[in-house]
Amino acid sequence: MSNKSRRDFLVKSGLGLGGLAASGFLPGFGGFSSAMASDLVVDPLAAKQPHFPAKVKSVIWLHMDGAPSTLDLYDYKPELIKLAGQEIPQSFMEGIKGGVRGGTGKLYATNRTWKQHGESGAWFSDLLPNLAQHADKLAFIKSSVTIGATHNISILKLNTGDLNPGRPSLGAWIQYALGTANPDLPAYVVLYNDKKEPTGGSINWSSGFLPAVYQGAAFRPGDSPILFLDRPELVAAQQQSGALNLLNRLNGLESAKYPQDTELKARNQSYELAARMQTTAPEAVDLKKESDATKELYGLNDEASKSYGETLLRARRLVERGVRFIQVVSGPQEVAGDSRNWDGHTNLEENHSKHARAVDKPIAGLLADLKSRGLLDSTLVESGNGRDHNPWGYTQWLAGGGVNAGTTYGATDEVGLQVADKSTAVDTYDLHATVLNLLGLDHLKTTFLHNGRSERPTVVYGKVIKELIA
Amino acid sequence: MNKQFFSTILFGLSVLAAEESRSAVDLFNNSVGEIGVQAAPVAVETAPAVAQPAQASAVVNDKAQVVAEAPTAKKSKHWSYQPIKAPEQPNVNNKGWVRSPLDAFVLAPLEAKGITPSPDADRAAFVRRATLDAWGVIPTPDEVTNFVNDAGADAYEKLADRLLASPKYGERQARRWLDLARYADSSGFTNDETRESLWRYRDYVINAFNQDKPYSQFVSEQLAGDEIAPGNPDALIATGFLRSYPDDSNSRDLVQKKFQNTTDITDTVGEVFLAQTVGCARCHNHKFDNISMKEYYQLQSFFANVHAVDNIPAAKGKVEHAYEADWKKWEDATKDIRDKQQALLEPIKEAGRKYNYQRFSLATQEALNKPINQLTPEERWVRHRYDNNAKDSDVAAFYADNSQPGAKDYKPEYAELSKQYKALDKELKKFDKLLPTQGSTTISAVTELGHADVPPTHIRFAGVFDRPTDEVQPGFIAAINDEQPAIEPLAFSSGRRAALAKWIASPKNPLTARVYVNRVWDQYFGRGIVETVSDFGKAGKKPSNPELLDYLADSFIKQGWSIKKLHREILLSSVYRQSSDYREEVAKADPENKLLAVFPRQRLDAEQIRDSLLVASGKLEGNVGGPSVFPPVPANLGAGDKWKASKDPHDQNRRSLYIFTRRSVPYPLLQTFDMASAQQVHSKRDVTTTPLQALALFNSDTVFEWSQALAGRVITEAGNDETAQLNKLYQILFARTPSDAEKGALQEFLNTQEKTILQKAATGKFAVSIPTGLKDTQALNPVRAAAFVDLVHTVANSNEFSYRF
Repeated sequence: MSNKSRRDFLVKSGLGLGGLAASGFLPGFGGFSSAMASDLVVDPLAAKQPHFPAKVKSVIWLHMDGAPSTLDLYDYKPELIKLAGQEIPQSFMEGIKGGVRGGTGKLYATNRTWKQHGESGAWFSDLLPNLAQHADKLAFIKSSVTIGATHNISILKLNTGDLNPGRPSLGAWIQYALGTANPDLPAYVVLYNDKKEPTGGSINWSSGFLPAVYQGAAFRPGDSPILFLDRPELVAAQQQSGALNLLNRLNGLESAKYPQDTELKARNQSYELAARMQTTAPEAVDLKKESDATKELYGLNDEASKSYGETLLRARRLVERGVRFIQVVSGPQEVAGDSRNWDGHTNLEENHSKHARAVDKPIAGLLADLKSRGLLDSTLVESGNGRDHNPWGYTQWLAGGGVNAGTTYGATDEVGLQVADKSTAVDTYDLHATVLNLLGLDHLKTTFLHNGRSERPTVVYGKVIKELIA
Repeated sequence: MNKQFFSTILFGLSVLAAEESRSAVDLFNNSVGEIGVQAAPVAVETAPAVAQPAQASAVVNDKAQVVAEAPTAKKSKHWSYQPIKAPEQPNVNNKGWVRSPLDAFVLAPLEAKGITPSPDADRAAFVRRATLDAWGVIPTPDEVTNFVNDAGADAYEKLADRLLASPKYGERQARRWLDLARYADSSGFTNDETRESLWRYRDYVINAFNQDKPYSQFVSEQLAGDEIAPGNPDALIATGFLRSYPDDSNSRDLVQKKFQNTTDITDTVGEVFLAQTVGCARCHNHKFDNISMKEYYQLQSFFANVHAVDNIPAAKGKVEHAYEADWKKWEDATKDIRDKQQALLEPIKEAGRKYNYQRFSLATQEALNKPINQLTPEERWVRHRYDNNAKDSDVAAFYADNSQPGAKDYKPEYAELSKQYKALDKELKKFDKLLPTQGSTTISAVTELGHADVPPTHIRFAGVFDRPTDEVQPGFIAAINDEQPAIEPLAFSSGRRAALAKWIASPKNPLTARVYVNRVWDQYFGRGIVETVSDFGKAGKKPSNPELLDYLADSFIKQGWSIKKLHREILLSSVYRQSSDYREEVAKADPENKLLAVFPRQRLDAEQIRDSLLVASGKLEGNVGGPSVFPPVPANLGAGDKWKASKDPHDQNRRSLYIFTRRSVPYPLLQTFDMASAQQVHSKRDVTTTPLQALALFNSDTVFEWSQALAGRVITEAGNDETAQLNKLYQILFARTPSDAEKGALQEFLNTQEKTILQKAATGKFAVSIPTGLKDTQALNPVRAAAFVDLVHTVANSNEFSYRF
């Protein structure tokens, strides 16, 4: 019959992907009959093979909301400190359109002390004492660039590659290209430690023009991370399982009339998966079984870092459970009486001290924990993100599997305003191409046919930065 | 509210009204935004347009070089660019099956392959199918029975006419159109501000379908309502189509922002009306189609002078008066605070504004610093845009940012003044709860602000805004139409969009009618005759049945672009009437069912699922139109002040198309079922099947409450007999009675579930969910009743409910 939309879908999505998974490859489906397993090959979330062997299985994407001034964290500029309080010399301004106050005010330096760390000798300011201990696990990109004088468009570009909303986020592309490694959990999860959803909301983890099934699932703080995860108040577990049995029976009677309709079968099965998710999702974010030592490692014993630490500990638990892409958005801090993200126009000292204190120990803890559990080799951790008000040169870093740890790629000029050597500039597209490469995906071959265009995650741009890969 | 530019628009409009003798509708006193009120019809050509000879455009003045630079593309041979020709109806053997000419076009290829079509669906299945397709909801048992028992020869015709006459038809069709219009009630981006007036555009669309406005007129008004029907508020509201682009009020480079907005509008128009992926030619000549970069920017230039205008007064009805009353309460309560704030800002009004300019790109600043009478058309855009978004807090920042020694304009008293201002802000915020939560007194539209002179449009190298190259003038895609646009500048507007509308809505345009009839076919059969419904280019699919497509397009135009007649013909056709029952021989001969020998079943879309559950539970609020509403969302959604549930409980059970479309917070229950994304043109709903959908339908408190209400309704209508109850439930949900096997399963469930629930009693805490809406619950056995609620909820979750067969 015509009821092959999922198969059609596969033909569409098969474009450019390295072939389909054999049914035997599907993890977690051992319990199903073979007929069911073969049906699942047409599941849009079925695990798929990458283009070439992947270096990592999961990505933790640390989004510092508001964009830290990396000049106060990693990018040590003695010249800037010397020139502080003066107008910026015109020679540094070449090629900048100006306006937007960025680059037009007087030079400003905060009162930091700087030290080199590890064998690599990477510079860290005193804001990140714990992360500095992991200097040799990091590969720095000190020549990051993007577009945008305001957060809105920079965040959008960082996540989706476009200044206008509508394109899929990087995590959606990854879920589309690789499917899920654990059908009992969403493959693309967004974590945040604010009372409300991060600014801009779901656009930043949307599936854009890809089917909605690939959008990120925002895990809410608290015990019940997914919307509609809990049974209606007065329905007991036994009651629901009785209802599920009936549902299965009724659907079976109906399906018998449409023997070839895989979609109807899949819908019936989605209720079984949902029932399992009701158990697996709360368990995945339940920190009760974590040891005191682990909690200490992530800074859970310090009020300043507890909230963010819990989020990163959740991230590690999700990595253990095969979640492919975990986007972590940092929450706000109280600065000068207001709730602020990293965007420290004024009160930079207070702002960055508080934010750094919230994230420094948890991130260091995450790296140490992943390492000791043998997960760091198969996980990629990315941090830094689009830097508002200075899109001309900022710092990000990568850590984990396949990363050329202990190195620094690119540099900014002597006052940290622009990338020094423009040929080394790393745009968000290049970062995306590099992350995809570590996941075994060729960004040029990861395509989806949309309105006559063969779309890819990097639009019409992007290059893999080989120097970042070991 | 900013009234500064409004006078300009009005000026433009009134000038025209005076110049032309046509009776213009009074912008202030005509009722708009209310369903059922049709403004004076707009005269739109339906006769073939006479090609304007190029020299005739001397009057037009749109720069002579257009002619010199007109692309001289060879006439394309691409199928969709060829004129629509009425195809000859094919000869078929089974003449009795041809209820409408379109059936012959479907039957001919079937007969060629030796496949017979399916028998008619049974009447009950048919009425459920047709009601879901035409209205987007399931029929009531009475509607089913009436049709099933109608022995008249015209039973099907009566059904079709009844469906098309209901306002529910317009609501359903509007929803599909709003997908294309990337309609939303908010701006998008981080701030995602409420657009308090765009629901009037949504209502315009509902009205247009219900009034069967000719498609050509519908198209023209949305592209150029302000130009072709000045003074007609309805036509002004129609430009909400163009106004619906996502926007970022925090943008700091307004010159670039203009480019982004124009890009969105151009790409949207190309995709929606012409199914041309013109956006591909923004960065390079189109890789597949005969569209050059130059032609792309020529298309952009039709929209070069459009401005968002959100403060046009709407005619006052109930909604507007209620809004005003609320607003006045807030104004009265806060007058003192606001006066104090104004007094604080008074000395720095100018300095503060100038200081705020510095937050913008240099090109933007240049425009902002010029006297109004010296602005270029492009700078006029920047100015208007700035004023539209200017806030007092921008000015107040001058105090805050200069309150510390070392700041450029530091004064010792600024710290205190800033503190005072902020304290007043806090005070003011306390009154937010008095602000109107929905509605408006204004119209959102696009106009050209009363100016006929237009900013230049440049080709952008590789699509990069910063790299303008040659200037271009308006022009069509030569491969489709190599005539020059006949632009007639108006006193208050460039006339460019009217010229574009004239071409797009022309019966001679080879794409417009084909594209629309194909979209309607896609709605009914789940797959367009051209599968790629928004790409009729070379990279898109070819029509599976080109004669059928041309028959439909040709007859659509000949019937005066009547959308209702198109729907009627499909609803009454034999191909639509077929059964969806599985047929092995068809599955073998035509595995994808491209020839339609079996009716294709479809998963209900997000709105059909929610609205049908509301109908079943008897809770649907049927009122049509009005401001968008906020039903409650799960407590852990975390949407903050972006989603405050409507206070009026009636607002919670409106049809889904009235739910507020917040770009950053899609309504969760709908989103999980693949609702349209409002970020771009949404051409086709995806059908995905996920555990998150199962969780939503099985666990949502809202859905469960509807199941309780449905259980109550069933008991009320069927009485205490359980068999009668099961029959009633199935009649409501599926338009049929349960089979013996189903009845067996249901009865068995009631018995075991009753025991399961009783066991809960043993735990000490005992509470159950019983049916709601019953007049008398005395006679109810609460345990059995709770089991029945579970039964109802499960049946509503079963596959059959979420599909139409």
